[in-house]
Amino acid sequence: MRLSEIDIAVIGSGPAGMAAAIKAKEEGAERVLIFERQEQLGGLLHQCIHNGFGLFYFGQDLTGPEYGRRFVEKIKDLGIEVLLETMVTHISPDRELMAINKREGPIGLKPKSIVLAMGCRERTRGQLRIPGTRPAGIFTAGTAQRFVNVEGFIPGKRVVILGSGDIGLIMARRLTLEGAEVKAVVEILPYVGGLIRNEVQCLHDFHIPLLLEHTVTQIHGEERIEAVTIAKVDQDKNPIPSTEQIIECDTMLLSVGLIPENELSKMAGVELDPLTGGPVVDEQRETSVAGIFAGGNVVHVHDLVDHVSWEAEIAGTWAARYAKRETFEKKPRLTLRPGRNIRSIVPQIISGQDDTSLYIRVKELKEGVQLKVGEIYSQKLRIVKPSEMIKVTLSKNQLEPLVGKTNELIIRCEKAGKHE
Amino acid sequence: MERLETEVLIIGGGVLGAAVARELSRYKTDVMLVEKEADFGWGSTKANMCIVCQGGDALEFRPEYLRSKLVWESIPLMEPLCQELDVPFERVGELALIRNNEEFAKFQKLKSRAEKIGLPPHEFIDRDTLRRMEPNVTREAIGALLDPNIAIVDPVRLTFGLIENAAQNGVKVRRETELLNIFQRTDSFEVETSQGRIQCRFIVNASGTSTARVARLLKADDFVLYPIRGFVSILDKNLRGLIQHEIHTRPEAPGQMNIITPSVHGNIFFGTTMQLAPQGDTSTTRRVMEIALKNVRRIIPDISEKDIIHSFSGFLMFRNWELGWHECVVQASRKVPRLINVCMGYPGVSAAPSTGKKVVELLQQEGLRLEKNPTFDPFRKAPLVFSKLSEAQQREWIEKDPRYGHVVCRCETVTEGEIVEAIRRGATTLDGVKFRTRAGMGRCQGGFCSPRVMKILAGELNLPEEKITKKGRDSRLLLYKSKELIEVQP
Repeated sequence: MRLSEIDIAVIGSGPAGMAAAIKAKEEGAERVLIFERQEQLGGLLHQCIHNGFGLFYFGQDLTGPEYGRRFVEKIKDLGIEVLLETMVTHISPDRELMAINKREGPIGLKPKSIVLAMGCRERTRGQLRIPGTRPAGIFTAGTAQRFVNVEGFIPGKRVVILGSGDIGLIMARRLTLEGAEVKAVVEILPYVGGLIRNEVQCLHDFHIPLLLEHTVTQIHGEERIEAVTIAKVDQDKNPIPSTEQIIECDTMLLSVGLIPENELSKMAGVELDPLTGGPVVDEQRETSVAGIFAGGNVVHVHDLVDHVSWEAEIAGTWAARYAKRETFEKKPRLTLRPGRNIRSIVPQIISGQDDTSLYIRVKELKEGVQLKVGEIYSQKLRIVKPSEMIKVTLSKNQLEPLVGKTNELIIRCEKAGKHE
Repeated sequence: MERLETEVLIIGGGVLGAAVARELSRYKTDVMLVEKEADFGWGSTKANMCIVCQGGDALEFRPEYLRSKLVWESIPLMEPLCQELDVPFERVGELALIRNNEEFAKFQKLKSRAEKIGLPPHEFIDRDTLRRMEPNVTREAIGALLDPNIAIVDPVRLTFGLIENAAQNGVKVRRETELLNIFQRTDSFEVETSQGRIQCRFIVNASGTSTARVARLLKADDFVLYPIRGFVSILDKNLRGLIQHEIHTRPEAPGQMNIITPSVHGNIFFGTTMQLAPQGDTSTTRRVMEIALKNVRRIIPDISEKDIIHSFSGFLMFRNWELGWHECVVQASRKVPRLINVCMGYPGVSAAPSTGKKVVELLQQEGLRLEKNPTFDPFRKAPLVFSKLSEAQQREWIEKDPRYGHVVCRCETVTEGEIVEAIRRGATTLDGVKFRTRAGMGRCQGGFCSPRVMKILAGELNLPEEKITKKGRDSRLLLYKSKELIEVQP
């Protein structure tokens, strides 16, 4: 493999990396190379053996591995190059990339552009600072998913799940089907963190107890976890002592949030958005470092895989154009800023010279609201939830008049009917 | 069950037991060390701030105490020891923050006291110098007392180094060997363990938090030890460079220590609060977590709880709780001959080099005859840290063994080759691999690598994966195989 002539390096081969690589190749890039640290393409898709993938992207209800296979086949057909079991260890601000594997040893290359598609990782017990002992039997939901679906092991048979993110909900059902007893899903917020369809299909359909506004306050057991203390929380999320109860268990899973994996981005000097945990990107998904693009969960955590792939396609397209030097000069641009009840917006910067879709997350669950983008867009929404990303598409016609006149746009989510 | 014999039996494979073992390996005598856990250094040694203290900072280090002497005598020994054992040692220096005149007066006393003792010189630095040295430090500080000699180490790696070097020089070491009982014979001891009986002439009881309990088996507990629980949080490596020195304040409340320090591996540790706690209960509590965080923000205001990747508690043993730090237990039993009890309490790591020597002296006074071991080799080679190699060296190693090209732990960049080497050197558990290689110590806390490390462990140890434990005994990680819990329909 002559690595000196690589046009585009894609880091990661999950639903983002594969989609970006395919799009870049279709856009005319000569040599596209994917780096994947695992033994096969697909990232975490192969451990997601449940359905619900591709409903929008393919118009079909697929499992994770099925969704992945369609991309893998295309990668083969298009002659996209792949380095498996290869860990990218460093990226410099001028796009020098270092990787390592068993066959080639240390690898160095300088592609014309890079797509970051490293996905995200799970929050851990240590970050949550759950007090107590430190026994075996505490896993993040994704690690447990790998043990059950890939390695063929069941971590334990009496399970408490802390947090109600999608992987936690999926694993509640999965472990129940495998004969374990999921004693409770404990969620500190007054609503479920994952998708409604997962709440219904994974918890309610299997009569798994859901304890909202509760949290784990202590872990017990020296060698293997033996029990957890849970308690109801008050409005400030502080445990109410009189509500404490003990649940015996041999396993605890954590599904308490995902963090975009940006260690390489930081090395490359890419500016990160503290609200998303991912790079600040424009509508081409270019980061603050020229020639480095990003797409998928490395930018912000999505609810649906379909959006991960779509977003990464934008990054792939523009990475290819950048490699071919077709990219246009960046003119004065608009910065999107979160206003009332808005947690984050991607992209954070837009040119206003194209139709642009915005992906917005709210801070709190609210009913009957009006979503506004500056003064150019307004939409009534029956309900908004932090767990469900809102997509807003603005046309070039709406945006163009603002360019040069203002340099920021505030997005806000207000009670409906206030100004009507 | 086996029946074993040895001249000296060391009970406990923490840093002190290991230091004694290594010191004894300079001589031609049969020495055996037993450890109840699956690996060495998993008691107080592991739950540690990793600072090599010099006993100049606290009034409790009175010159008449053996404890002070052992700490002071260790000062010139620690760095050469770390070099011999090929383990990290970094002289970062210490800053004691001064926030008001009252504190300044206290530190003046400490400084002149340190000078009187003959400790390496301390120096007052003003606000501007402090700010230049530590730009992130609190605006509250009007200056600091600098002790440039304070160093940091990795106590568990130091223990592995001591044990491996001792073993290299003939000491027999046995893990997962729990002490059950001791019987005193006329001229010897009969020690009953979970792995059989051991007959020995001398006992070094270096069993950390169990020191008094073990002594009691021989009715030789002529001392009392109070278990004091400390608490430590570890910050993400991204914050590397936030501080350069170990920094502390005067206790924020009686007994509430408040320290933040870089570690030799790049993470920052902070810790606090000594509290009397039920022995053996190393659980953390919400209250102490909050106190630690609140206190450390009085040193570095910008620390966010979001940067904490792990927290733990561990024990120090106090001889006298009421009076604060007091004397240690490093003495021949007054009641039972040929029994040496060894418990530093705090600071065990800092005092380990000279304590090893002191115990050898005590054994000789009890009648142990020692003859120099002419083949003693003080040098031990640490396992390879692949990420620290140059590109050319990395290439060379991968050519020799391709497993060095397979990165298993992404957060700490640990390769399969390093994990296999750790297992070859004795790791049998997930935590054993973790403390030897750092796989699983990073920000994802083993989420990514633990299934892979377990597979490597299972392969190397020739065990089914469901037998692999986190830390020995009943800490199995995977309790069932797929479909095992589903009732089979006839």
